[in-house]
Amino acid sequence: MTDEVKVETGLYYTNEHEWAKPSEDIVVIGISDYAQSQLHEIVYVELPKKDAAIAQGEAIGAVESVKAVSDFYSPVTGTVFEVNEALMDSPEKINSDPYGEGWIAKVKPSNWDANVAKLMDAEKYKQHITTLKH
Amino acid sequence: MELRKTHIYQYHAEHGNVIDFGGFAMPVWYEGIIPEHKAVRETCGIFDTSHMGRVYAEGPEVVKFLDYVDTNDIGALIDGKGVYGVMCKPDGGIVDDLIVYRQSAEKFLVVYNAGNRAKDFAWLQKNTKGFKVKLTDVSDKVGMIAIQGPKAAEVLAKIAATDPNAIERFNIAPIKISGFDCLTARTGYTGEDGFEVFILEDPVTAPAKSLKIWNDLVTVGAEPCGLGARDSLRLEAGLWLYGNDIDETTNPIEAGLKWVVKMKKSSYFNGRKALEGIIEKGVSRTLVGITLTERGIPRHGYEVYDGEKKIGVITSGGVAPILNESIALAYLPPEYKEPGKEVQVKIRTNLVKGKIVKHHPFYDESKYGWKRVKA
Repeated sequence: MTDEVKVETGLYYTNEHEWAKPSEDIVVIGISDYAQSQLHEIVYVELPKKDAAIAQGEAIGAVESVKAVSDFYSPVTGTVFEVNEALMDSPEKINSDPYGEGWIAKVKPSNWDANVAKLMDAEKYKQHITTLKH
Repeated sequence: MELRKTHIYQYHAEHGNVIDFGGFAMPVWYEGIIPEHKAVRETCGIFDTSHMGRVYAEGPEVVKFLDYVDTNDIGALIDGKGVYGVMCKPDGGIVDDLIVYRQSAEKFLVVYNAGNRAKDFAWLQKNTKGFKVKLTDVSDKVGMIAIQGPKAAEVLAKIAATDPNAIERFNIAPIKISGFDCLTARTGYTGEDGFEVFILEDPVTAPAKSLKIWNDLVTVGAEPCGLGARDSLRLEAGLWLYGNDIDETTNPIEAGLKWVVKMKKSSYFNGRKALEGIIEKGVSRTLVGITLTERGIPRHGYEVYDGEKKIGVITSGGVAPILNESIALAYLPPEYKEPGKEVQVKIRTNLVKGKIVKHHPFYDESKYGWKRVKA
């Protein structure tokens, strides 16, 4: 196991290890390196539905490894603008590149300022995951 | 509470991703479940099975005793032969599945699930009443390693004093491995050819012999495998996991285990009367195999539907790494047992389409498993 978990700066994180990255008028969302390393071999992703209205904290999909299912909770409120269809055939991209090719969806946020107030920045998230290590 | 350590714990701690498995510190994987699974189907993998229960049953009435607790025909065994079976309660519910090996007319080795060690020993002990038999739990005195896969015999031969190929399926024989006295059985729970090696006189507190054999197996090319692959392999082979597919509320007839219930035995055994009644009346549900025809992964506890109607629950499910399919076992009413029948599995909020398939095993036996023709 690699003990070095990557936390990318400029992203905002949830307690449940989702990330959100504002980029112009949309927010890209996915799961963190810590989350993918805990799940290990990801074999299936249930993507959010395109055009769906979603709320921060709502279960909008799932990421599954051979052994486990992890609900995917939206870090942001808004409308699903695009989903990463490439994950249907290559879910392992979440393992290899959780902050890049492993993105899950792009969302048009409706209240980003209120959402971001409830998320952690990279520094705070780093502290959060060190408390989880045993 | 501190986890119990098995004979191979030192290796797990250094190389594996260790979890709490029924109170034991066990590796769920080393490299990953998928490569470990494939190693067993294609070459050779090894598993620490030292957490399982191992008991000697000895005495002049040991055959009568085992025929009373086990549904299979123990009296039919000859020296050096073992048999898979189940122990039932008087109502036919399954206490556990197990393998019983005959070493001699008055000495048998009984092997059962790790999670049931305390329960099974107490159950066996209670049932010795009236029989001249003595039980000795040697789980902490004897190590146990499973060597599984089409190349298992070839790999084991490299460190064995005599050719393990001489041991036939479900037979057990004494062999020296890495120079140590072992009992070697040609058994396993992956669907593949392979062996289960019992390392004698090797206390769990100082398990030097078991660790040496394990490390020697790794050196000669065996892939260490964790519990994750053990579970995906047994599911792909359509083998029952106690606690999921069978338990005290299920009986061997509905579980597809009628072949281990030997009514031709002349003597009474626990559950016999109840099981005779179930066979006569017919079962209300039966264990079937399902493969999904749409995307999704079926899991333990998910509901199975026929249109609007809930018809059963999945007992084991997951991805089959060799088949690249999602597969599951479920108890459904017997009218759904025919292969090809369409059903749906409720995955979170979606009903995902699937169909009934043969499941013991799920794979093509000409390509995988111990029956395949060796190249």
